[in-house]
This record gives sequence, C-alpha cells and structure tokens, in this order.
Amino acid sequence: MNELLKIENLHANVGEKEILKGLNLEIKKGETHVIMGPNGSGKSTLANVILNNPVYTKTAGNIEFEGENINNLKTDEIARKGIFMSFQSPEEIPGISVMNFLKYAKNKTTGQPVKVFQFKEEIAKNMEELKMNASYINRNLNVGFSGGEKKKTEILQMLTLQPKLAILDETDSGLDVDAIRIVSKGIKMFSNENNATLIITHGTKILKELDVDYVHILVNGQIVTTKGGELAKEIEENGYAQYIS
Amino acid sequence: MKTDIEEINRNIYDIKNKDEYDFKIKKGLTKEIIEEISKQKNDPEWMREIRLKALETYNKLELPTWGPDLSELNMDDIATYVRPKTKMTDNWDDVPDDIKNTFDRLGIPEAEKRSLAGVGAQYDSEVVYHSMKKELLEQGVIYTDMESAVRDYPEIVKEHFMKCVPMSNHKFVALHAAVWSGGSFVYVPKGVKVEIPLQSYFRLNSPESGQFEHTLIIVEEGASLHFIEGCSAPKYNKVNLHAGCVELYVKDNAYLRYSTIENWSKNMMNLNTKRAIVGKNAQIDWVSGSFGSHISMLYPMSVLNGEGAKTEYTGISFAGKNQNLDTGFKVIHNAPNTSSVVNSKSISKNGGICTYRALTKINENAKGSKCSVSCESLMLDDISRSDTIPVNDIRNDDIEFSHEAKIGKISDKTIFYLMSRGISEEDAKAMIVRGFAYPISKELPVEYAVEMNNLINLELEGSIG
Amino acid sequence: MIVNRTPIRTSVNYGINEVDIQDLKIHSKVVEFNNLTILGDSSKFDIYTNDDNNQVNRKDLVYGNGKELEEEVYEKANQNIKIGVNNSGTLNLEFELDDENKCLIDNINIISNSKKQATIVIKYGSDDAQEYYHNGIIRVDAKENSRINIIVINLLNEKTNNFLSIENILGQDAIVNYTIVDFGGKSSISNYYSNLIGQRSKANINTIYLGNTEQLFDLNYIAELRGEKTDVNIEVQGALKDFAKKNFKGTIDFKKGSKKSTGNENEYCMLLSDKAKSKALPMLLCTEEDVEGNHSSAAGKVDKKSLFYIMSRGISYRDAMKLIVKAKFNKILETIKDENLKDEILKEIDTKLD
Repeated sequence: MNELLKIENLHANVGEKEILKGLNLEIKKGETHVIMGPNGSGKSTLANVILNNPVYTKTAGNIEFEGENINNLKTDEIARKGIFMSFQSPEEIPGISVMNFLKYAKNKTTGQPVKVFQFKEEIAKNMEELKMNASYINRNLNVGFSGGEKKKTEILQMLTLQPKLAILDETDSGLDVDAIRIVSKGIKMFSNENNATLIITHGTKILKELDVDYVHILVNGQIVTTKGGELAKEIEENGYAQYIS
Repeated sequence: MKTDIEEINRNIYDIKNKDEYDFKIKKGLTKEIIEEISKQKNDPEWMREIRLKALETYNKLELPTWGPDLSELNMDDIATYVRPKTKMTDNWDDVPDDIKNTFDRLGIPEAEKRSLAGVGAQYDSEVVYHSMKKELLEQGVIYTDMESAVRDYPEIVKEHFMKCVPMSNHKFVALHAAVWSGGSFVYVPKGVKVEIPLQSYFRLNSPESGQFEHTLIIVEEGASLHFIEGCSAPKYNKVNLHAGCVELYVKDNAYLRYSTIENWSKNMMNLNTKRAIVGKNAQIDWVSGSFGSHISMLYPMSVLNGEGAKTEYTGISFAGKNQNLDTGFKVIHNAPNTSSVVNSKSISKNGGICTYRALTKINENAKGSKCSVSCESLMLDDISRSDTIPVNDIRNDDIEFSHEAKIGKISDKTIFYLMSRGISEEDAKAMIVRGFAYPISKELPVEYAVEMNNLINLELEGSIG
Repeated sequence: MIVNRTPIRTSVNYGINEVDIQDLKIHSKVVEFNNLTILGDSSKFDIYTNDDNNQVNRKDLVYGNGKELEEEVYEKANQNIKIGVNNSGTLNLEFELDDENKCLIDNINIISNSKKQATIVIKYGSDDAQEYYHNGIIRVDAKENSRINIIVINLLNEKTNNFLSIENILGQDAIVNYTIVDFGGKSSISNYYSNLIGQRSKANINTIYLGNTEQLFDLNYIAELRGEKTDVNIEVQGALKDFAKKNFKGTIDFKKGSKKSTGNENEYCMLLSDKAKSKALPMLLCTEEDVEGNHSSAAGKVDKKSLFYIMSRGISYRDAMKLIVKAKFNKILETIKDENLKDEILKEIDTKLD
C-alpha cells in the first residue's frame, strides 16, 4: 500500500476558537508535500493536531495513517507509528545528552535494542553532513543551542529515527541562507520512495533544492488550492492575495 | 534513563537487620542517661562536662515556634545510644557479616575501591569501619572517627568542638552535644590537596533510637578536600531521630566541597545542623540532595568571616507522601568582598511538603560583597505543597544582591516534544524531572549522580501517569 | 506592642516575623477629627460619614496589625466612612493632621458595585510641628466585574506613628489596583491583604517608599489566590537614606482551587547610605499544581555608571541622585493622574533627599 497519511474533513479548536475548518490532505509514499499560507492560517496547528498535541481538540474529521485511524492515539504512540515532527521552537532538555536522547528515542520508536557502535558512527556521519560541530553530541539536548543548531538537531533526529512521514514545521524560519541549504540537504538525504515529507513553511528558499510534488495553500483553516512545485514560485512573486477572499 | 541505568531496588535501603547490639541505653533523656553514655564511651572529664552542660541547655531551650510540627517526637521514646556488637576496624573482613552485607548492598566497599580516598562507616551509634589511603596518611591527613579524635587529638578537638555551632543555637543541637556519638574527624594539613573524595556513611538500624554523629573537618590554609556524606535507614513504624552536627573550618585560601545524599527512611525526624566558618579567600561549596525522612529541618550555613571568602550552595529536595522537608541555606557575609551563590530546587508530589527557608545576611562590614539566590519549585500534583520563605537582611549599601524564585509545574510543551519522539508520558515526565535536578546531579561524582537519579526514579514510580 | 505579623513564621532569630513598636499606647479617649476634605465627583458616590448614623463595620480582619490596634479602630474611630461606588468617577479624601486634629483613627469601607469603575485617592498628611497619630483600616469589597483604583498617600511627618491595614475581597472578574506612596511617619506600619475569590479577578499593588533619618517602614503584603485564573502583581520600589530601615514581607499564596493562576512579586531597594538597613521576606506559598509564581528581590546602590553619566552633564551629585530615584519611581507614579498630587509627591522626594 502506498497511502501514508489521509486526512478527511478535519476540524480542530484551540480553546473555543476553531482553527482548522474542514481540512483534507492525502500523502503517499515517495512524495514531498509543501503547505504554505499566511500567518494564522492554521499551518502549525495542522502539524500539532496530527501529533495529537493536547492543546488542540479535534471536533470533527479523521486522520488515518497507513490505513489506521490515529485520531485517539497519544503523541508517543503516533510517533512510534512512524510520524516525526520537527518543531518550530524545539524544547531544551537539561540532564540528557544529544547522544543519549537519540539512543533512547531510537529504542522507544523501534522497540529494538540499539547497536551502539554502528549507531554512533551513523550519527557522526550525519552530523558531518549537517555541518554540526561534533562536540554537540555530548551536550545537553538543545540547552544553550543557537536557533540554527536547534533546527539542525531536529534534522539529525529525523535522520536517526527514520520515520515514514516527516513533518517539518517552519524548520527554515529564522535561518540564514547557508543553514537553509544544510536543512534542505538533510531533507534530501532523508527522502526515498518508502517515506514522505510534509514541509510547512512561509518561505520558498527551502524548496529551491528539493523536488516538490505538491504545494497546498492553506487559508483560514482549509486547503484552498493544490498544484505542483511551480505554485511556490507563483506565491513568491504574487503573495497570497488572490487566495484570500 | 531506565535503559541506561541498571534498575535498582528500593529494598537495598529497606532491608533491616535484627536489632542486635552490644549495648543499648534505656529510652529517654536524663542526667543519669547522659552520665551512663559518657561512662560507656570512656569520655575524658572535659567531654563529660560538655555533655552535662549541654543537657542543661537542652532543658532550658524551647522547641522552635516555626516550621514543621515536631509534636510526634517524644524523647522518652528514643534510645540515644546503641553500640553495635563490633569494634571499629580498617578491614571489611573484620566487620560482622550482617553489618558488612548492609554496607555492601549500599555499595560502600565498592565505591571505596573505585573512587574514594577514604571511607568511614557508622552503624547505629558507633563507627564500625574507617580506612584511608596510605598516601594521604603520609601527607599528614587525619581521617578517623570522632571518638579516636577525642582520645588522640584532644587539643584540636577541644579548640573546635561545638565552637562553630554553639550548643545554645537551638534545642536539637544542645541535645546533640549531650548525647553525640560517632561521626568523622578530618584534618587536612596546610597546603595538602586531597584530590579524591573521602566519604562517611551513616546507617541507623536500631528501631526507636537516634543517631547523633559529629563531623568535624578542619581544612588548613591552602589545603583542599572533597567530603561526601551519605545516610540511610530502614523504615520502622515508630519515630527515629537524627540530630547530627557538622562543623567545618575552612582556613585562609583553603577549599572544601561538602556533598550529601540523604535518604533516611520515612519515619525519621532529621533535625541536623551544619555550619562552616570560612577564612580569607577560602571557599566552601555545599552540594545537597534530600530525599528521605519524615520531617527534615536542615539549614546548612556558611559564615564568611575572611575577606574574599566564597560559598556556593546547590541543593535539591524531593518530598513525597508523608514527608515534610524544611530545608534551605543560610549565609552570613561578615567580611569585605565575600560572595555567595545559591541554587536551590525542590519537587513536591503525593502530598509531600517542600519548604525553602533561608537567610542571607550581609553585615555592615561586608562592603563589596555579592550574593545571588535562585530557587525553583516544581509541583507534580495538586495535593502537595511548596513554600519559599527566604529572609534577606542587607545592612550596607556597597553590595550586589539579587534573589529570584519560581514555582510551577512541568511544561506541557516539553512533555509534547518528548512524546513526539516516541517517549511515553510517564518517561517524559521523569526525564524532565531529572533534567530539573541536573544542575545538582552534575555537581556530584558520577556514582552519586547515578544514585540520585535512581532515587528520583524510585520516588516518581507509580506517582506519575 | 507587637504588630504586623507575617502569615507564616520563620526563625525567630531573623527578626522579621513581626515588629515591636516601643511606647505605643492605645488611646483611651479620642477627640473629634475635623480636617477631612472630600473632593472630586462626590455626586457619583454614596458617601456616609460619621454624622450619617451609619453602623461601624467591625468584621474581623484576616491579618491586620493585631487585635489591639484593630479594636482601637472599631471602638474609637473618629472617622467612619462608607463609600458606595454606583457610577464611574474619581473621589479624593484628604486627611490633614494639625494642632487641632492630632489624632486620626479612620475606618473606611468601600463597596464597589458590579461593573462600576472608580478611582479613590486617600491622602494622609500633616504639618511638621509635633507628633500626631494615625491608625486606620481601608476595606474594599469589589463586586463582580468592578474595577477600582485606590491611591493611598502617606505624607505624615517623621514624628508621627502611622498604622494602616488594607483588606480587599475580589469577586469574579473584579480588578483592584492599589498605588501606595509610603513616605511619612516615624514608624509606618502597614499591611495589605487581598482575597481573590472570584474567577479571573486581578489584584495589582504598586508601592514606593522613601526613608530617611531614622524612619522605619514595615510592609506586610499578602495575596491569597482562590479563584481559577486569578492574577496578582506586587511591585515594591524604595530607597533608604541615613539610618532608615525597611522590612518588606510579601506573600503570594496559591490556595487550593487557584488553577491557572499567576502571581508575581518584585521588590527593589536602593540603598543610599551605608547605615540604612533593608530586610525582605518574599514568600511564595503553593498548594495548587497548575500555577505560575515568581518573585524577585534585589538591593543595591545607585548605579555608578548612570550617576557618572548624569553628572557629566553638569548636574550635581545630589541632583543626580534625586533624578535617579525619581526615574526609578516613575513607573509607579505614572498611575497617579492628579498632577497636583504628583507634584506634591515629587517635591517631597526632593525634600527627603536633600
């Protein structure tokens, strides 16, 4: 089966306020999707609702992953099904090193013991690709990291945990051109025919070096347009004005 | 990290040996009892006099009018002196099996081999094992039990015993001076740097009894030492009492780090007193983890008497069901250009009470002094309690002083972040709590940091979910 | 007499659980006080004073200054004032102590009815001639959705003892803001207590104090959060000159039920002399889980760099000092809209710092 994620008529609230108002989305293996939209349109909400962040309540609709309804699964269970989210502002976790955290999370997501030697080598290689200073591996997770280092650490986690679906929530925001290039390189390293990527962004720089299959425009809690990669360019030139009615 | 740390068993702290002893004094506190303890311990006359004077002081002093309720404590139910059926030795093989097994389970002989320069082990009222590496002996370092110190170094003991902490300070320090037994004496000569820590471990096995060990440490000019204190007891249904006293003298340019991992059983009244007098450009650092006891009143104090003296306090307390941990740090800036840094954390769950009670006093003469205090409290549920009660007493203008305190719960955002990596809610919370405690655990030697994390895991088990 | 006890005691040796005022006697007989001026939109308030045959409000204070001083107010008050807020507006009560009005014992009750907004300024002043006496209670009952600003100004002379107890009860969505200017008195002993019962109620207190000579300030501020989503902010800024002493005791108490509430307390004491003494006991008490409490307390000298910068513009040391103190107080003074009153306070700062 090629189908990974299928969202039907999704409605979600934060408090009393409705943010997602009947959203539909399908993602298949091997695809790269992009969601763009003006501030407050519900982009980040979508990522959080897929991972069932308790801050949001789903009021209607379905989320299926590999044919299974994941509406009522807890966040950690969803992660173990193979969905990963790169956070817009990753949390700082004192008391645990990046290495130990990766080992721990890998163990939890796969349910298998981690082969330490091989694992370390793989991480070292990925860190090099992401141009991360090797010393970060022993530092406390995200504690005192710059914005750019935090985002790279998110990509490192993605490469390590090898999810089936990676959701990148504004991973490019606040990054300089070089860092964005490194992040897109990470995404390229990750992508293959057995997994998929959903990139949430309001910029287009990150898309330049990626093969994007679909671009969705999210306005006011609904996807209003879906086209191929060329849509991103159009937005870059003309903005969202024509999609906001 | 449950996957990285071998699972530990609560039992290692809880296994009790039979209440066997060579001598157990009758319960209560009378002049006859004090005389009898003094006789049993073969005190010199001057020590006997100190004990009797202390008893008078004890009878005159009132219970504190503040802090936790101590009415459960009845001295008529406490035996203040229990001599184990063994003599002190420097060879673990000579320690009776049941006592040796107790310390084995606590990992003391193992730690001694791996990472300590010397070990003292006290069982009930007497030290049963004391040993130190030969090199330190050759450098003139003394590390022995208090009784030997009273016998072998009477002049040093007389000059320092109950001088740093006057026996009139409060009721339980007077009690301590009257019935004290056991504890460690450390003397580090001028300029000697003891690179590897010394550790004394205090184990109370006997029910309805008290432990009153006295720790006296003198770090001479330019010398340095790291001293670790550990304590535990099996749980009984009736109250046990711990009223130790720690007197630390850190002379000019000297350095002392005093680390404690306290895991008394949940029937213990822990009314302990610790104080350091710090000389010119000298420094004392306290690292303190309080996990056990039913009630604790413990306020380590640094008296910065020499110009440029420094102190740091890093402490954590974790109160669970039926625990009331009233702890905090006191510092007196009593000379110019002194400085203090305080970092205190507390965790309350399952109805436990944590109180941070503190004093910062900057005297008229302490010009150019600096103090910064930070307190953070974590509430893990809504049936517990967390109070912060710090007093700041500033008496001159040429100072920098700041105090910050925060109270709150585990961040939902952080839980979500960790869960999005496949970690269960329970594990995520435990990870965050360990992270909260990290500034303290990172100050401890590795074995003790692991022990502390294990204690946190134990405390959290079943309480989060 | 022992007065102004903290809600929770700490070690007796720290000398902050209460304050002992020497030679304080409860008045056996109190003569009339006739120097009260009422200004502002008095038509918008229901005001009952002594003459209006109103009943003395003698509901026990939760904290206060101790039984004896409290009884003195109930038994001997020579100003019993009851104010009902029925319309939005501003009211000024100015008490001025002088040779003919040496003793003021006031009992002020303010009831702010629902959805009403008002500002009430209560000023205690005196001439400098002799020792006077003030002991008072201000009680505010803020009903749901009401918003009330109280400004209390103490400019009594430095021979006079000043005692003041404030107690507020807040209904749902009520907001009670206090601005307190505590400058006067030989000893100025005050307490403030807010009981935030109503959901989403909010209590703000902004205080400045300024001590010189041998003045003693003892401030005991307590807020108990009971309703959900309540919010307390305590901000205390002060400066101490000469031999002045200050004890600040601030308690934020999150009671059971105060989920999602927040409490902040911030205290800063500028030390303008090496003989001045500042004590603080900023307490955070908590029996609820989902709350956020913060306090910070700091003390220090006037920043040398700012002082140097200002003096480099040709301003004398003394004037620079005044400027810095005023700048520090400015945020709190801005809440006072009455320009004449503000000028009077600024002038007082100049006088005290001369």
